[in-house]
Amino acid sequence: MKPLESRNAAETEPVLSVRDLTVEFAGPRGGAPTTAVRGLSFDLAAGEVLGLVGESGSGKSTVGLALLSLHDPRTTRVTGSIRLAGRELVGAAESELRAVRGARAALVFQDALTSLSPFHGVGAQLAEAYRLHHPRAGRAEARRRAAAMLDRVGIPAARLRDHPHQFSGGMRQRVMIAMALMNDPQLLVADEPTTALDARVQRQVLDLLGELQREHGTAVLLVSHDLGVVAGTADRTLVLRDGAEVESAPTAELLAAPRRPYTRALVGAALRLDSVPGSALPTVDEPSPARLFARRPKAAGRPERWLMEAEELSVHFPGRRRLPALRAESVRAVDGVGLRIAPGETLGLVGESGSGKSTTSRVLAGLQRPTGGRLRYDGQDATRPDRELRRRLSREVQLVFQDPYASLNPRRTVAQTLDTPLRLHTPLDAAQRRERAAELLDQVGLPAAHLDRYPHEFSGGQRQRIGIARALAPEPRLIIADEPVSALDVSVQAQVLNLLMELRERLGVAFLFVSHDLAVVRHFCDRVAVMHRGRLVELTDREQLFEAPHTEYTRELLAARH
Amino acid sequence: MLTFVLRRTLQALGVLLAVSAAAFALFYAAPADPARAACGPRCDSGQIAAVRQSMGLDQPLLTQYTEYLAGVVAGRDINDVDGSAIHCAAPCLGYSYRLHQPVAEALADHLPVTLSLTAGALAVLLVLGLGTGFVSALRHGRRTDRLLSGFTLVGASVQIYFLGYLAQWWLVHSTGLLPLPSYTPPTEDPAAWAGGMLLPWLVLGFVNSAVFARLSRSQLLETMNEEYVRTARAKGLGRLRAHLKYTSRGAAGPLVQLLGLEAGALLGGAVISETVFGLNGVGRFAAQAVSGQDLPAVVGAVLLAACFVVLFVALADLAVAWLDPRIRLGR
Repeated sequence: MKPLESRNAAETEPVLSVRDLTVEFAGPRGGAPTTAVRGLSFDLAAGEVLGLVGESGSGKSTVGLALLSLHDPRTTRVTGSIRLAGRELVGAAESELRAVRGARAALVFQDALTSLSPFHGVGAQLAEAYRLHHPRAGRAEARRRAAAMLDRVGIPAARLRDHPHQFSGGMRQRVMIAMALMNDPQLLVADEPTTALDARVQRQVLDLLGELQREHGTAVLLVSHDLGVVAGTADRTLVLRDGAEVESAPTAELLAAPRRPYTRALVGAALRLDSVPGSALPTVDEPSPARLFARRPKAAGRPERWLMEAEELSVHFPGRRRLPALRAESVRAVDGVGLRIAPGETLGLVGESGSGKSTTSRVLAGLQRPTGGRLRYDGQDATRPDRELRRRLSREVQLVFQDPYASLNPRRTVAQTLDTPLRLHTPLDAAQRRERAAELLDQVGLPAAHLDRYPHEFSGGQRQRIGIARALAPEPRLIIADEPVSALDVSVQAQVLNLLMELRERLGVAFLFVSHDLAVVRHFCDRVAVMHRGRLVELTDREQLFEAPHTEYTRELLAARH
Repeated sequence: MLTFVLRRTLQALGVLLAVSAAAFALFYAAPADPARAACGPRCDSGQIAAVRQSMGLDQPLLTQYTEYLAGVVAGRDINDVDGSAIHCAAPCLGYSYRLHQPVAEALADHLPVTLSLTAGALAVLLVLGLGTGFVSALRHGRRTDRLLSGFTLVGASVQIYFLGYLAQWWLVHSTGLLPLPSYTPPTEDPAAWAGGMLLPWLVLGFVNSAVFARLSRSQLLETMNEEYVRTARAKGLGRLRAHLKYTSRGAAGPLVQLLGLEAGALLGGAVISETVFGLNGVGRFAAQAVSGQDLPAVVGAVLLAACFVVLFVALADLAVAWLDPRIRLGR
């Protein structure tokens, strides 16, 4: 990057200048339109990174798409002004926009697996991006350029012919970035470029993005829900809520001294590795809570009887046989895992995607039969539970799922959803069950008046509360929660975590808490197990794990989070 | 890819074996005495006994079946009703005592008609089905889409004998635009071949295109929202070109599968259209064999149809694998 002094007046003019941008989507069947972005204005200079931060539904992705006019013009109305290097894009002709897209302004999307064509080799996809804007370039030249660009992002040119599915998640995102930079654009819009990646890989990709951006002097609009991602990358940050700007400031300033309450809540809710474990988290309604939830006293040594014990647990999936005669290589999803959960204890289970943590939790929940090892529940052998034990397990072990949208039946009201476990596991009659369902809703902070509503009438956070109420219905002793807050926005995440901590304090229920998010695990769990490639790498107290991890792998995981 | 081809071929052979066994069991499931049925109503008891022996009905079931299979592979000798020895050459599907002809030969006589009918009908189906599907998807929700959807619905609901009759009356008898449907070998006179087959092609193609059009519309609509199509647009590709290159590729899988099934089914004999248009194809041959209780001919026709279905479904699978590197190269 050139030093600031040498820039002349023309160069200091912003690359991108957005004024009063408003985006409206037509309502279904002529209904009232929804406004996704309202009167947004900002400038972006060459070589500058602007973080655009907001929660789901804030309109941040809409802004990114609008900059390249990628919305369906039949259903979308974009007004205001978008000037890219002095050229007005709002209302520009389609042919003019085509010349801008991919050449002067490029996009990097969240999920490279679905955003790259599965049918074409990566080399061909890169070369296409080049040839579209260099019509006179031959195939060979485009290929050379593709190879050079792949090389720049750290992928050997030998893999030019490979297809996206043959790459790892991090490498795919590098391909995506290489493709966006093929024509040396002035503006790069990166929409959640690292959200689908594990923390370790996330860091690498962000570093690469920063390097390239400095090399080329590209202006970057970094769209993200994650303040942590923006913190280390963006020069300035703009907070978006309901399509409008809440606050905009240099990133360091914004994080250190947020001016608006919403920003304060957002900054406070983003859990970091220096939170006080078990303390109530700040939310939009209560920005500075001063409450510490009680934890069960650390058990002196082993308890009288473990609630759940797993020994040498393994789950091997048969691999795909290529021919009937050949032997199949099996996939070892879980390989010799041993862990124990004491009554009332919370055990965290962490690992990257594919580490086997979800499969392990499924086995403990009785949803997946282990191919090896033993399982004990409350002192009884639960590897192959008899009828009576199965009944007991189905009452005393409950589940909370990750996706609050997919895990509730959309055709059943809240009352119906809560009624089923009560009917199965309690002797209550219909009237009593309804009373109890209302009680449960109250416990998770929802009014009893909502009993007869359907899931689609609730927000993501509220749905997760309903899922928790369903798990609490039969008064379980162990709740297995697989990434229960990962799909939620940070501010909602804080609310749901507060609820879980409160319920745990009140009911003394044990948790197996599966998560990829170390900060959340540190805040919520008593002991933590780390899994890597199907094996248990480390299992120890929370303080021990986060202050002085034993294994190299755990250290790497922790380093990626900072 | 090679292991994939090999595996698929083994599967296909397995299916054919199962179908042949089932078809063979037909002899015994049939209420009539297979020998009497094969020989026909005018045979005397001596002739029936000869047929019984020639068909090997006095042998154990398994022996009969293995001999039949051996005949398919290597050919075999068979005695006709009058006792004359006949050699049934390599893909021997049995002997029709009614036609005094090996079943395979009789089928081969009727096959060109069916091949011609199927090839043309499939071409019409593809153009019509893909065309309406693509336009419908592009103009989704608009008047063109609704119009075309209605059009395909008509195609799906109308019966082929009705439409065939109507079209023949209008295009041939009333206006004289087209000649009466007939089959001329394309090697003899290509123009007469195409002219004679045009009406059956159009009618059969149109009626079968309805399902194809609906599937291609919904497939394309689904794929249009794929993120890689959006990426293509973000690269600077125009809407139509992005859909032609990326959307159609993503939508192709199920369409190829359906096309394979259609092709296999049509090659097995389009009984109704062959009857309506007076074409002497495999379908009519099979129908006549059934009504004449010519069991060896029925079994032969069933096997041939099964072969085509299995072959084309396997070909479709291969095409899908070739189109999708995730299948071709493994995950």
